[in-house]
Amino acid sequence: MPPNSRQQAISRLVSLARSLDGTFRRLSCNGMNAVHRPSEILETLKRIGVTVAVTVPDGWLGEFLVRIEEAPWISLVRATHEEEALAISCGARLGGARTALVIQNVGLLSMGAGMVCLAQRYQFPLLILASYRGTPDDPVFYHVPKGRATEPVLRGLGLGYAVADRGRPIGPQVESAATYAEEGSCPFVLLLGREDVQW
Amino acid sequence: MVTGTPPTREAYYRAMAETLPPEILVVTSLGNASYLWAVVRDRPENFYVEDAMGLALPLALGLAVARPDRRVVVVEGDGGLLMHMGGLITVGAAAPANLTVLLIQNGVHAASGGQALTNAGLDFAALASASGLKGARNIETADALAPALAEALGTPGLSFIALLTAPDLEVVVPPAGFDPVVTKRRFQDAIEAPRYVQTLFGGGRLEERQR
Repeated sequence: MPPNSRQQAISRLVSLARSLDGTFRRLSCNGMNAVHRPSEILETLKRIGVTVAVTVPDGWLGEFLVRIEEAPWISLVRATHEEEALAISCGARLGGARTALVIQNVGLLSMGAGMVCLAQRYQFPLLILASYRGTPDDPVFYHVPKGRATEPVLRGLGLGYAVADRGRPIGPQVESAATYAEEGSCPFVLLLGREDVQW
Repeated sequence: MVTGTPPTREAYYRAMAETLPPEILVVTSLGNASYLWAVVRDRPENFYVEDAMGLALPLALGLAVARPDRRVVVVEGDGGLLMHMGGLITVGAAAPANLTVLLIQNGVHAASGGQALTNAGLDFAALASASGLKGARNIETADALAPALAEALGTPGLSFIALLTAPDLEVVVPPAGFDPVVTKRRFQDAIEAPRYVQTLFGGGRLEERQR
């Protein structure tokens, strides 16, 4: 085989392997019949009447946010900072819209003042979906400090939260988190794994 | 051309009170921005942001997005805007057609005693314009506010007016103590925001309301 053809063949094989890897990652969470978990989250948000999403992106969230942006039933606001995004969510909820704040867990560390002075003080029910970076499942060196600090900070702020259970369907977990926020008139954080949000 | 001292916040607020139609939703930022507005024109359609410096503008953006049928006017301070300058970029990008931003430019952190801003001499209209809020303008007299505000409210689209203002450091006493949850519920009732129906009572969702 000429060198050029060999290189093209290798290139095609690498491309195929990447594609299969993505497919297996999507299917491997609960076996071959598993529901695509990011799709399930979107379907749940639609079913429970979330009409405004506010976000600061994360590497896992890129395509998920594009899907939200393309959906006709929900408005997406892209903010510059998570504390600002929190305030936008509060304003939308004040106006009567159910909202989802979609961020990386580092945003939970940087929005502390707004969380205490605005969201908690005014008792806004807010669903916060946060990608949980820096856990043992995501041991990227610069995410690890955020992963270590996340849950202690949530407890320090007095925030209700849960870590998504990868062994159970994600839709009911999102719905329960949203219901908790509304019933308790408070923000509630659901920490999500890669398989939950990466498309 | 302005000579001497800039107008007071109260002079601007009097002009606002005479110009704003009753259906306008007003969000005011911390300190005298809220306390004085409560003195001049307390009404259920006011949402007073206590503390949470710099978050009145993004909160108003969320409100405008959720309620495109209502015009929202937000009064933010220059210190608050500097603290969360990104909010201006987001407002410009989201560009809701029903939001008017009034910026009190007094050059100090008035609510905390009058400390100087990091940069008090910024051209905020130019900043807003560069952020996507076309037609942003600076105003230096109270008389100029009413026509500018009437024009902003009468034109669909995002608008921004910076008001050169004398610092007011003495705390204005509002007519009643502020209770954040009462403020929120009063506002939501006034705009007929749908209430959440608890699961125990067959809900688990927002009530349906016709608008």
